[in-house]
Amino acid sequence: MKNKWSRILIGAMGASLLLTGASSAAMAKAAPRPVVLKVLYMSQQGYSTSVLLKMGAEFHKEHPNVNIEFTFLPYPQLHSAILTSAAAPVAQYDVVLSDLIWTAEFAANGYTVPLNGYIHHYIKNPKGIPQSVWNGLSIKGKVMAMPFLANFQNFYYNKKMLAEAGFKSGPKTMTQWLHQMEVLKAKHIVQYPYEDSWLQAEGLVCDYVRTAGEFGNGNLFNAKGQPIMNQGPALKALEWMRMLYKDGLANPNSLAADEPTAANAFASGQAAFNTNWTFVTGIMNNKSESKIVGQGVVSAFPVAPGTNRATQSASISGFQGLAIAANTPASLKPWAWKWIQFATSPAVQAQHLHSEWPVWSSVATSPQEKRLNSWYKVYQQNLNAVYNRPAVANYLTVSSIIQQYVHEAISGTIPVKTAANDMVQQIESLHN
Amino acid sequence: MTSMPVESPPKRATLRQRVFRALSGEYFWLYLLLLPSILILIAVILIPMLFAFQMSLGNTSIVVVAGRGSINNQWVGLQNYLSLLQNPSFWQALRETLYFWVVSILIEITVGIGMAALMNQSFFGRRIFRVIVFIPWAIPTVVNAMLWGMIFDGNNFGALNDLLLQWHLIQSPIVWLNPSALFPQIPWLSNALSYLGSNLAMNSIIVGDEWKTLPIVAILVLAGMQTIPHEFYEAARVEGASAWRQFRQITLPLIAPVLTVVLILRTMQLMRAFTLIFTLEQFGLPVLSIQAYQQAFAFGSFGMGSAVSFLIGLIALIIAYFYIKRLYREEL
Repeated sequence: MKNKWSRILIGAMGASLLLTGASSAAMAKAAPRPVVLKVLYMSQQGYSTSVLLKMGAEFHKEHPNVNIEFTFLPYPQLHSAILTSAAAPVAQYDVVLSDLIWTAEFAANGYTVPLNGYIHHYIKNPKGIPQSVWNGLSIKGKVMAMPFLANFQNFYYNKKMLAEAGFKSGPKTMTQWLHQMEVLKAKHIVQYPYEDSWLQAEGLVCDYVRTAGEFGNGNLFNAKGQPIMNQGPALKALEWMRMLYKDGLANPNSLAADEPTAANAFASGQAAFNTNWTFVTGIMNNKSESKIVGQGVVSAFPVAPGTNRATQSASISGFQGLAIAANTPASLKPWAWKWIQFATSPAVQAQHLHSEWPVWSSVATSPQEKRLNSWYKVYQQNLNAVYNRPAVANYLTVSSIIQQYVHEAISGTIPVKTAANDMVQQIESLHN
Repeated sequence: MTSMPVESPPKRATLRQRVFRALSGEYFWLYLLLLPSILILIAVILIPMLFAFQMSLGNTSIVVVAGRGSINNQWVGLQNYLSLLQNPSFWQALRETLYFWVVSILIEITVGIGMAALMNQSFFGRRIFRVIVFIPWAIPTVVNAMLWGMIFDGNNFGALNDLLLQWHLIQSPIVWLNPSALFPQIPWLSNALSYLGSNLAMNSIIVGDEWKTLPIVAILVLAGMQTIPHEFYEAARVEGASAWRQFRQITLPLIAPVLTVVLILRTMQLMRAFTLIFTLEQFGLPVLSIQAYQQAFAFGSFGMGSAVSFLIGLIALIIAYFYIKRLYREEL
């Protein structure tokens, strides 16, 4: 009796296994297995959360079996999230937004994979993206991320304030800029003519490199890889920043301000000048955020006489690209590339021109862009004039030293020359 | 003469016997019910802690080999700890952390007890007052940080600056979140305070942090106060004791155990304070917790980051030891 029931039970189990197996096989034939692609992105203005979600939905329409799962983090948390994801056996994020300052580190430690093979096969016209953008995201011939965001800084000024001070246009040289700031202050048109993001963070390094660029070149290291902040344009930049702070031309709040704070000061009419990323263009003309609608002008950066002859400007790059994590499962890597190719394609970037400046020259010069962005010529000029921050594998350690000493030099805690020398000495000691 | 039978002393049970008795006797169900919690504690606290300690003794780096990520830990012994102790920036971070802790604790003890004493009185609207006082504690830390970021904005339109300018208490806006030296017109004092970790940003952040945490301190102290029998105070009043003496000799000794718990809890929290400082200053105010984060997650030096974390734990443990020791001495 017992045996009989056992046989029935085993028979039933076998039948159900067969049935489920058969139905699974049938399903597998009917529809491909759903793919979930985990993408790490930055919560920011420009290519915002809603823009990315829309892109994800469009991609899903083209590839119904692929779901994009986004994680949006603020910029200061991106690097640590990529690092912890790299430490896991299988990547927590298959596609990550990679900042150009991490290119050397990610390449040296193998956190993301070089994309040369994919680009060679699938990107028909790589020259359609400016070489300066490729350079920022490549190292030693390896392209570590596909350009997605062609972010760079613009020079913004308030034409109404300048007109009140008797100036018909913005400054072309550093001397003119200084003069305009002094007049604006002397005539009490604005208490502090300039506000920048000098909080002890990455934004400060961007402003320092760009200012050095305005004085000739933005190189903080020489060709041999030695730090040179205590000489040439880098030292002049430090002296300039200190002078603006000491003479009350730069708002003291700059030392505690990040980029959005500095942008808000400009948009609320508290500053006549702002040097910032491209998102300010949208803010200054947005009635809900700005008190200076119609007064803001986007311009090329003033430069020291006789420098930057080719570009007549000096900006800083903030390029970001999409990269594939090295520990992404092999089966997902082709899908990861498909998403990257989709999101960075000229066709998709052309749909979101109001959000960001496109990486593709063909899109940047399209009639649509010209219609949407009346400053497109200045944008192109500043993009062609970008300087990059140092491409060193231990960049974040180097950056933290630069941030500390530049901040102290501006606030006057230590003299400029001492700060520059100490900065150089400390960075050199990292390599000894 | 008959010899008295000598009772041999009971044999001491072996460890295995004692464990068996403990698990099989009246405590069986107790241990069984505790088991899930113990396993969770082992999984999420003990094992990660041991792993972090192991990392602190190594030169730890993240490596991805053949498509698999892992942590490579090369044993260096106490090298990370020694490097930290020889680094001046570690000592500055330690001084800033200790300043943050001392000032916060002093505020919490004085103002917290004061608030609790006030809430312990009976007055019209006491319940509503208690609810209102408790609201800041319910606000998420990041939201609190953003809120204080707007209050302390260094422009004219910053809430605090705007108020002070309207009242003509200041001539120009103050950059509250800039870690600038205090009293720059008195160099020796300014230098001494900077050395001790006191600057404008640090004090502003203490204000923001206390606004959020004072209510929980006050509520806990209030709970302690409410356990004190009224008769004690009545007897003291009959004896002619002043209010101050009643507080010093009745209230304070009887709330000491609660106060010790609060102090230990807050010391642990203050030693690892991170969110408010990082949200407002990023790496500009490098207290120990910020330094640990920066070492591990910005520089990728997980060994050094773990070493800083263990030193934070050790310091908090030493402080807690003195609190507890003092409490037991007073009870005796």
